[in-house]
Amino acid sequence: MDFSLLSDAMASKSYHKIASICDDLMLQVATQGIAFHDEWPYPIHLLGHLYVDDINSARFLWKSIPSSIKETSPELVAVWKIGQQLWMRNYAGVHEAIRGFNWSQEVCDLVASFSDHYTKKMFDLLLSAYSTISIQDTALFLGMNEDDATNYVLQQGWTVDPDSRMLTVKKQPVVKEQKIDPNKLQRLTEYVFHLEH
Amino acid sequence: MDGDDEASAQMIDEIYANGGDDTRPHRPIIINGEQLDVEAYAALYTGRTKIRRLLFIADHCDVVSMQLEALRMAYDEVKKGENTHLFREVVQKIEGRLGHGYGPDPVWSEAVERRAEQRKEKLENELNAYRTNLIKESIRMGYNDFGDFYYAHGALGDAFKNYVRTRDYCTTSKHIIHMCLNAILVSIEMGQFTHVSSYVGKAEQSPDALDPITVAKLRAAGGLALLEAKKYKLAARKFLETSHELGNNYSEVIAPQDIATYGGLCALASFDRAELKSKVIDNLNFRNFLELVPEVRELIHDFYSSHYASCLDYLGNLKANLLLDIHLHDHVETLYNDIRHKALIQYTHPFVSVDLRMMANAFKTSVPGLEKELEALITDNQIQARIDSHNKILYARHADQRNATFQRALQTGSEFDRDVRSMLLRASLIKHDYNLKSSRKF
Amino acid sequence: MNQNTNHVESLVFQTKRLSGTTPEDLNCLHSLLKQSEEILRSESTRFASSLADLDPSKHSLGYLYILEACTAGTISKELANELVLSVARFINECDAEQIRLAPEKFISLCKRFKDQVMQLESPMRGVAPLLTAIRKVQSSPEQLTTLHPDFLLLCLLAKCYKTGLCILEDDVFEVDQPKDFFLYCYYGGMICIGQKRYRKALELLHNVVTAPMSSMNAIAVEAYKKYILVSLIHLGQFSTSFPKYTSSVAQRGLKNFSQPYIDLMNCYGNGKISELEAFVEENRDKFEHDHNLGLVKQVVSSMYKRNIQRLTQTYLTLSLQDIANTVQLNSPKEAELHVLQMIQDGEIYATINQKDGMVRFLEDPEQYKTCEMIERIDSSIQKIMTLSKKLTAIDEHISCDPQYLGKAGRERQRLEFDDFDSVPQKFNM
Repeated sequence: MDFSLLSDAMASKSYHKIASICDDLMLQVATQGIAFHDEWPYPIHLLGHLYVDDINSARFLWKSIPSSIKETSPELVAVWKIGQQLWMRNYAGVHEAIRGFNWSQEVCDLVASFSDHYTKKMFDLLLSAYSTISIQDTALFLGMNEDDATNYVLQQGWTVDPDSRMLTVKKQPVVKEQKIDPNKLQRLTEYVFHLEH
Repeated sequence: MDGDDEASAQMIDEIYANGGDDTRPHRPIIINGEQLDVEAYAALYTGRTKIRRLLFIADHCDVVSMQLEALRMAYDEVKKGENTHLFREVVQKIEGRLGHGYGPDPVWSEAVERRAEQRKEKLENELNAYRTNLIKESIRMGYNDFGDFYYAHGALGDAFKNYVRTRDYCTTSKHIIHMCLNAILVSIEMGQFTHVSSYVGKAEQSPDALDPITVAKLRAAGGLALLEAKKYKLAARKFLETSHELGNNYSEVIAPQDIATYGGLCALASFDRAELKSKVIDNLNFRNFLELVPEVRELIHDFYSSHYASCLDYLGNLKANLLLDIHLHDHVETLYNDIRHKALIQYTHPFVSVDLRMMANAFKTSVPGLEKELEALITDNQIQARIDSHNKILYARHADQRNATFQRALQTGSEFDRDVRSMLLRASLIKHDYNLKSSRKF
Repeated sequence: MNQNTNHVESLVFQTKRLSGTTPEDLNCLHSLLKQSEEILRSESTRFASSLADLDPSKHSLGYLYILEACTAGTISKELANELVLSVARFINECDAEQIRLAPEKFISLCKRFKDQVMQLESPMRGVAPLLTAIRKVQSSPEQLTTLHPDFLLLCLLAKCYKTGLCILEDDVFEVDQPKDFFLYCYYGGMICIGQKRYRKALELLHNVVTAPMSSMNAIAVEAYKKYILVSLIHLGQFSTSFPKYTSSVAQRGLKNFSQPYIDLMNCYGNGKISELEAFVEENRDKFEHDHNLGLVKQVVSSMYKRNIQRLTQTYLTLSLQDIANTVQLNSPKEAELHVLQMIQDGEIYATINQKDGMVRFLEDPEQYKTCEMIERIDSSIQKIMTLSKKLTAIDEHISCDPQYLGKAGRERQRLEFDDFDSVPQKFNM
């Protein structure tokens, strides 16, 4: 089995590529009739799916893993625990699952990167979904203690009401490109012309 | 005075609890100061409808004294006629509660029935004679007499058949009209309102100009039929077109007061503001009817000038009496709901934002109750607004045409794409199937 | 005996000589191979050993005939592994042009390959080769091959749903076998359901349900059941009336075979979550028996979403408590989590105000002004223009087809040629 593509991606921290690299590789070695299960880097493969938010593929991968492998790899089980929490939308549970295992050297960086990625995602979710939110809940969503969480969001311009222990969210204006290049305009003009004549 | 206030407050509660209270075992119909004057009411009608209406009141009113009064009058009225079936029904309902003078009176019944037998025999002989002589007009009269006879004795089905049979022997359009009016009368009594509509239609097709009273009768009957068919808007138009020359000429069917009430309520429930103004309020003819029922006139004016609280008050006071009306009874709830919805919609219409507390006040309801009512109307797309439940404000919603157009265009595009692709696939399958069949043939 | 050996040798020799030079040579080889089918089968073991002598990428046609003959008989389990490997290698290396001269041979080989892989209980081994095989045997991506359903089945069994999606993204237009089409749409629908691509799943299942059919089939029934469930999950509603082009067989029969699903739909329409849950519990066995219980549970949870979405149409702000009461959730906190999930999934636009326990519903912020959106509109227009051109071309083609004209003239009433006629002209560009 040639894992060089995977190792390259891991080394360059191109984690978003991992899932498809692993998927392709798995189909290849399966075609060659190689008994790959025992050596397969399942935890990385599974994390790769989670990293790109493909919880469905993660679930199907988990279902396809032989139970003998699941029983002998606590790390794999720990990764799946993260997946389960994501699946059930237990936002705080994801952080707990991440913290709840002593990750091996190979996946340590990947997990850390996933964790950062997830925290950012949660922050964005809070930003879009809340106008005010309690410090306690914010800490749960971000997977931090209350002080760290408060500091984190204060840096983003949020404000805190110490009496009610409520945070007021500061919305960030989303800037999107609105200028269009002249070619596009030309084409749209042609459509209109076409329709009118 | 206090008692009255309490009573009307209670009644208002009942009106505003929208629907759903039919299951209550004894719906308290409170008859307050404006309690229905049964005698005055009955005086508006003649003939069979007078008795039926009185019996209807007796069946639907919970006040025993009123029940008995209605039954007493029904008894007296039915005794004037020859309908022994109806007589027995009245006696049964009285249950001896009115003393000796209001008992089963078998002597009277037997006498009436004996006379009826003789009369029937005579009519049969006459008719047979006419038929052998083949004199059209006499045959028509013969059938007509039979119709009258059966009608008087309460055999409505037979009466209808005989009246309709005269048709083949009608020689003038007057005859036709006469036949139609008889058929309409019996059909109304039978509750066969589809027949009513069709005979109204036949009569209106008459080539000769009809006299104004007949026209008015036909409009009123047509309106009744549409009311029973729950076509309130069309019913309203018929009642509004009914000329006031109707007067008391149709008392065997309807009173001019009814035209005002039925027409007014149906119009309120189904007309928009402009129509209400032009066809009801500015309608000089209809004003004559409205003068007879000032409450209805006032509530229409209140509605139009947006005095909803007062309008709802009038409606509340009228409701108990309307529920005792033989034709309106089944429609009161629906009409009231529709009127209330109309009022709610009209109230919100001119505003960008509406304070729900004020609105609840105007409609004599609670804020949560109003929210539920508005929710239903918004969901039904009857009000284009959204509720700020936090601040208790209703905001008008103005759909962004530009965005909606983009969205629709994209959606139409993707639907077209999907439909065309699956159509091509089906075409491909049919083609394949056809090729297969033809290759098998060879 | 000797003569046979000679035959084998000469055929191998000819294969080498005639492969890959000119089309004429290849045609010549092809007819030679066709004539030798009998000997290929009878001497398959001898031919098998000669395969080592041939290059699958250069001598693809000959290689195909020999390999196909070798796989014709029953195959022992020991040999199966070997065989699967060599067929996989051949599929990977063969020359598309050559094998397309004998597509039926190639397909038969691939089908046997699929059967072997299934027998070995390792469906994953067949996934990549079958994908390659489809690409090679297709004359265009618009053609539905008989290998499509096999590939999708292997993807389902091997749980490689994502891989299965790649083939579903092609728009197919040409179908040879109705059965292939039914299975392709059904398996495809299942893959899309697994990946929560409900829109595409609905499209595929719709195609099964409305396909022309002369008798009821099990695939259509199962597809109809899933169609109902996915409609409820994705659209929140389902209409039992069929489009008019649906076969009369389907219109008459499908509902009778799917009664619990029709009842489920009616129950869903009432909007009462507790009633729906009770109904599902009552009919649990039936849904489980159809392997649809998972989807049914998704239907149940979609009702919360539907009910919350309805509120967004009516309210600008609403307390979490009121939301919980209205949609029958146990607590304001639960209502908050539901609203949050829906915001995350882009199903509603709203902000939660924890301080006051309120939710403010917002309008869709899309203003149709960004470059990205213009790009989308543009590509949508392009797509439809392409499709319209195709439609016109096919329409012209059919109206020139003598067979069609003959048939349409004679039997217009009997056959539903509406399908050809109802081209919406106004969309033609």
